Amino acid sequence: MKNDSLLNRLKSTGSAYLHRSKVDPIQNRTRYIFFLYLFSAAIILFGLIIVFSAVQNNEDYEFSRQLICVLIGIVLMIIVSRFDYKVLSNMVIPLIIINIILIMSPHLPFIGVHVKGASSWIRLGIQIQPGEFAKITVILLAASVVSKYGGHLDDSKEYVKTLALLLIPFICIMTQPDLGTGLVYLFIAAIALVAGGARLKYLLITLAVFVILFLIILGIDELTKTINENGEVEYHFLKNYQRERLFIFLNPESDASGSGYNLRQAQIAVGSGGFFGKGLMHGTQAALKFLPEAPTDFIFCVLAEETGFVGVALLLVLYIGLILTSIRIAFSAEDLFGKLLVWCCVGMWVFQIFQNIGMCCGVMPITGIPLPFISYGSSFMIVNCVMLGLIGSVAINGISYKRKRIRYGATR
Amino acid sequence: MLLGILVAIAAIVVLALVAMIMYTAVTKHKSAYKKKPKKQEINIEREKSEEEKKEEASVPYKNLQTRFKAIGIFVAACFSILGVKIFSMQVLSGDKYTKESSANATTSLKTPAPRGNIFDRKGECIVKNRSSLTVLAEGDVVYDNDVLSRLSVVLGLPYNIIKKRIQDQSFGAQNRKVVASDVTQMQAAYISEHSLAFNGINIESRTVRDYPYGALAAHVVGYTGSVSDQELMEVKEGQNIEAGDVVGKSGVEAQYNSVLSGDHGERIVVSDADGNIVSVKSEIQPTKGSDVYLTIDAHVQYLADKLLAESIAPKGMIGTGTGSAGAAVVIDIKDGSVIALANYPTFKPGIFTNGISQDTWNLYNTEESYYPLMNRAISGSYPPASTFKAFTGLAGLKYHYAKDDSRWNCTGSWDGWNSGYVQQCWMKSGHGDINFRRGIVESCDVVFYEIGKLFYDNKASIGEEAMQNEIKKFNFGKLTGIDLDGEEMGRVPTPQWKSEHFKDVPTEASWVGGDTTNMAIGQGYVLVTPIQLAVAYASLATKKLIVPHVFKEVKNDKGAAVAKKEPEEAGTLDVDAELLDKINDALHGVATENASVANAFQALNISAAAKTGTAEVAGKRDFAWTACYGPFENPRYAISVVIEEGGGGADTATPMAAKLLDASIKAESGQYEEEIKFIAGSSGKSVKLAQASSSRQN
Repeated sequence: MKNDSLLNRLKSTGSAYLHRSKVDPIQNRTRYIFFLYLFSAAIILFGLIIVFSAVQNNEDYEFSRQLICVLIGIVLMIIVSRFDYKVLSNMVIPLIIINIILIMSPHLPFIGVHVKGASSWIRLGIQIQPGEFAKITVILLAASVVSKYGGHLDDSKEYVKTLALLLIPFICIMTQPDLGTGLVYLFIAAIALVAGGARLKYLLITLAVFVILFLIILGIDELTKTINENGEVEYHFLKNYQRERLFIFLNPESDASGSGYNLRQAQIAVGSGGFFGKGLMHGTQAALKFLPEAPTDFIFCVLAEETGFVGVALLLVLYIGLILTSIRIAFSAEDLFGKLLVWCCVGMWVFQIFQNIGMCCGVMPITGIPLPFISYGSSFMIVNCVMLGLIGSVAINGISYKRKRIRYGATR
Repeated sequence: MLLGILVAIAAIVVLALVAMIMYTAVTKHKSAYKKKPKKQEINIEREKSEEEKKEEASVPYKNLQTRFKAIGIFVAACFSILGVKIFSMQVLSGDKYTKESSANATTSLKTPAPRGNIFDRKGECIVKNRSSLTVLAEGDVVYDNDVLSRLSVVLGLPYNIIKKRIQDQSFGAQNRKVVASDVTQMQAAYISEHSLAFNGINIESRTVRDYPYGALAAHVVGYTGSVSDQELMEVKEGQNIEAGDVVGKSGVEAQYNSVLSGDHGERIVVSDADGNIVSVKSEIQPTKGSDVYLTIDAHVQYLADKLLAESIAPKGMIGTGTGSAGAAVVIDIKDGSVIALANYPTFKPGIFTNGISQDTWNLYNTEESYYPLMNRAISGSYPPASTFKAFTGLAGLKYHYAKDDSRWNCTGSWDGWNSGYVQQCWMKSGHGDINFRRGIVESCDVVFYEIGKLFYDNKASIGEEAMQNEIKKFNFGKLTGIDLDGEEMGRVPTPQWKSEHFKDVPTEASWVGGDTTNMAIGQGYVLVTPIQLAVAYASLATKKLIVPHVFKEVKNDKGAAVAKKEPEEAGTLDVDAELLDKINDALHGVATENASVANAFQALNISAAAKTGTAEVAGKRDFAWTACYGPFENPRYAISVVIEEGGGGADTATPMAAKLLDASIKAESGQYEEEIKFIAGSSGKSVKLAQASSSRQN
């Protein structure tokens, strides 16, 4: 029955199928790499233009620094793409160690920097954020741990073991603490588990456990809340500012000066862009300092204000193009490690894009998560370029010309 | 709107097309790829038995395809949500956000308008403007010790004073604080040139009120100050008052604030989130307020101010002269124009220009200072004493309790109630046999006790309030309606009032005959204000009721009168003219026949109608009164003068009233030449007055 229908379908599309089969798969691979680089180059260029506009009249940021980062990133991307990612597929233990060292490094004496109540930075000549770089190693870790099961993570013991390994980076980052980056790690782990074929039942149970844990934390907070001498309510697990950020987007008018102010100004910036925007360098929300952190977390607002819906649509189309290209590579990759590697990168981008843009237009809570390829910031730009390199490497090394030939033979 | 939606739909279609084209470009071989593995699957299934399990694992993970697709759908959902949300924000609600964005960026700054000047009736400027270099500090300068100490050196002010002024929150925490006003050009230039060393300090040239004659007519013109939060809340429709504006707080400045304050200038500026001005978009210059001309004659006013000051505090200290405080009112009887309205102690309105200092404020609110801010002429309530006999006498004439041929015998004391409580005539030796006219001329109290007794005895037939009703015809006990704030009503006591007033002391609450006889001589519970008395004497002269006013007209900058005071009548005076003539004749007799009074008028060769009064106030020296009008043949001005604790009316108040009447008459024809000089404000200091003399003189 099944075979019949398939055969019918084959017959009906037979001519097209035969025609298409003539295309050399090596061209396919080249096409992927071409589009991958084309879309990413377009996004990076767009981002540089917006950053150039956003850093005007703001002495805290330097456009040249961003430019240098992009150049370093491109060089790294090319190097990484030439490197065969497969050698990393069996390095679970070293990756765990590297992750722990990276993420915990801000706690080290001398190089660790403690700002705004978080140890997220280290100083090595320049100040960098190891938590950002760890996104790469977290992806590698997730992909290599899950790919070992070959798409059949069906055993509950193995599942728990995998989950435990994947939670290590999250636990480490929460010591800084950096909830935003932690959520990115969790999302990467989730994508790896979903794409890597963990049993649906286990996934649902895990999700339920997380939701219940969150509710329990809220519940304990509610029970143990204390009122300090200023008459403010204090919670223990989720700090007040975190609660504000988490819940403010539900009712932005409630707090016009704190988190609500940021959200309000972000929405005004996005909305006032209109269809064609106010023109590059003509945005007022960022230039007049109404938008906080305009070149970094709220760069999307600058883009939306100055280039309008046209610019936003262009950005989204470019993102979709990059992600679709990556997904095609994931489909085409022959080994599970390669597939998961690409899926995790895609997952991270989608999460950050959705979270960052969603925060600017009020559908997501405010967190300090930058917009991939656009936000000002050296660490994350380089991380994104390295991920492009990894995807490129999967496209180059993971789609085998030879094996395809054999398969073509088989289909003939 | 429709166009917008169409454009939006077009945009979405284009977007969708672009996405589709790109998707096909990327996945040109999608179907081929998709089917290939399926074909393979068949192969694999077929060859399954032959191939090893390892082989199966290496095949393209058939079980994961659905997972991948699910993730793909999730990604698509994320992008759709973003696209729809941003479309609705930018295209559908774009206008709303654009408005909010420009509201963010542009600020309308109001620039204060200079206030109009205040002139007297002949165009003598009493209040004008001058520019004052003012040092302003941002609130956070208070934490910058370096800047504070530099300011201290440059301005020559103690460090702590500067710190205190910046900490002062009385004009709002947001506003810049005034560190010093009227600094010299040198100081201002120094601070401007070293702006880096004076971070947060600004120099501004502000327009402030200037009073060329100091305290001249201080209570009439009033003073100005920064608008208070409460005043801002109570701004009326059509009034344009902004935070930080200078508004009139009392007197004409307050009463005619809307005329005097001009129209704000407006600067539309682009400013950043910290409030720094980035650029100026447009600017409208402010319009100066209109000039107000008062009915005051600066010459007469100056004389009134000067005479009171010289009498009460010749050495600048209350207690060194006669009396502790005083007020004088001169009104034009024809239309109620106030020619002069003076008080002592008085104040220089200039002390409020940059905010009155706490020390001065405290000093001016002590008993020792005798409250210089109080406008006694309209809000001081005093027993009118014998000046009231004109009105009680008129009541007596009306009820025929006093007739031309009525005669009384004054022995110096009177016990008409047979209560053992003897009421005195001021002349303890007695006036002997006396008629009604002499009773007024000599101010014989016994005559009026008898008249009062007749009112009380006949209350059953004429009513309990027959005398009060006659008195009230002259508008005693109610506001005269002068266009100045803070006027008091005075009091005409009635049995009803007394029972209410003493409802907690029932033994005192009933009206007794003594209350009527006391009222007949203007003592007891009767209270009048100087302005009421002047207006009532004007009514005696004109047989009309008038409303006093200080506002004459408003002139615009071209000198044309744009608004004038319309004459206002307070109603007709319901008094028999024949009886009134009798009273006026008797009052003229006071000014010509009563030696102690007549001297003052005759010395100046004026024919007047006058009455003095010496009010007894518990625990204090007698208050001296004189009310008069003149010239008698052709009445022009009515005057009342009161000197608190000034002793006998004829001694202190009458010469002053005579001089004011003389000056008013001369000033009208331009003959009064005395130069207007600076009037000093009260020092707020006093010494104890000489011990009260127990006897009334008349």
